[in-house]
Amino acid sequence: MSYEIADEPMPASGFENLVFQPSAPLLGMMWCGAWLAWPWFIVNSIAMGSPSARREIQLCIAGFAGTAVLALVVFGLVDAGIIESKLALQIALLGVVAFKLGIAYAVSTIQARTFHVYTYYGGAVQRAMYVLVVGSYLRDIVLGVSEHPVWRIVLSGGW
Amino acid sequence: MEARQVAALIEQADRARRARDWQTATSLLKRALAIDPEHAQAHATLALALLGARRLHGAIIETDLALGFGPDSPFCHYAAAAVRLAERKLDDAWKHCLVAMQDDDNDVHARVLGAAIKALQNERDAAHTLLCEALAIDADHVDALSALADLELKTGNLAEAHRYIELALTSDPSDVDAHVVAGYIALARNRVDEAENHARFALEQDAGARDSLQLWTAVKARRNVLIGLWWRFSMFVGLRSERSQIGLLIGSFVVVQLAIILLGAAGYEDAEMVLRKIWLGFCAYTWFAPEIFEWMLRRELTGVVLREDY
Repeated sequence: MSYEIADEPMPASGFENLVFQPSAPLLGMMWCGAWLAWPWFIVNSIAMGSPSARREIQLCIAGFAGTAVLALVVFGLVDAGIIESKLALQIALLGVVAFKLGIAYAVSTIQARTFHVYTYYGGAVQRAMYVLVVGSYLRDIVLGVSEHPVWRIVLSGGW
Repeated sequence: MEARQVAALIEQADRARRARDWQTATSLLKRALAIDPEHAQAHATLALALLGARRLHGAIIETDLALGFGPDSPFCHYAAAAVRLAERKLDDAWKHCLVAMQDDDNDVHARVLGAAIKALQNERDAAHTLLCEALAIDADHVDALSALADLELKTGNLAEAHRYIELALTSDPSDVDAHVVAGYIALARNRVDEAENHARFALEQDAGARDSLQLWTAVKARRNVLIGLWWRFSMFVGLRSERSQIGLLIGSFVVVQLAIILLGAAGYEDAEMVLRKIWLGFCAYTWFAPEIFEWMLRRELTGVVLREDY
């Protein structure tokens, strides 16, 4: 019988090779896009066995859904002729990107707590460079699947 | 029989905690809590050990459990005050500290903790009074003397700060916190080599301690512009809560991007380009600086005999 401290991760066996620094998916968000970052955050959380995995996954879903809703609102406002100038559109899109990045920072911060404990107990960590290189190669392919602006806004990065 | 076993484990764990052996303390307390999961003192001691190991989230949960099982225990309130202080919830920390102090007129640790809270609330006179009370109870208490030296340093009284830290180091020459304060006092007196020796000693005792690492970085920052910039930036951001940090970073992003958009719209393409490059450079620097810093730190630490758990 043992006592588990609530912040202790319980890595799923066989998933240890999928643990990355939580700043890696955040960089993935900026560099490659949300299409890579949200799933990466979720996989990282499960691989680490994060005790806050539920919250992290909820935040990722909220980030994805929230971006989609905001993108649809901006698209609707453009369609309705309320957003007419390029300047107004740029500012509106900046709001969407800020929302996306804010959620990504929040997930990264929460995941970093577990990551700290995970490495404290000697957990293995993978290098993110390969994923980022592949992600940057696939970026244009994924974003080019549809020409619809909402698709690009929701799945693009936050740079 | 079980109660005696739990008490013995807590006592051993507390000794390990005071020796900054967080892993041993944590594993002993886990054993104690496996026997009695509702032991308030075990939860409170575990919270303090986790705080030492920089596991704030776990410490918060253990504090809540400790207060749930022992709402009237001064020690649980002491642990809660320490954890709230680390969370920078200063008003809440002070409330718990008052409970810890009220129950025991001779509790030096609670007074030192109270002084740390008051100092952060910019109530230095109140902090000074609490530390004087602590020293009236135990004139050689190393934590009280170090805290008083730190307070004098922050007030700019270097001579007094130096006097108190000398007393602290005489009282306990191996105290990590005293060496950290001594290092900052040496830095304020432009004695960088002396500060480095204190940092080196502090790291040898507890390489994972945030304060020791910060002192080491502060020493290196005096000699290296790159580390110096990173140190100042991380101190500025790190003093804030997690939520404020995210707000600060996203706020900076929005402000800069808005400025870039407005400059572009107004036809100042050159200024827009310069701002874009500055922002890109800043992002790249803040991204890679911790890596560079970590590498430089490890290179520097090759001369330090580190504990196994670093």
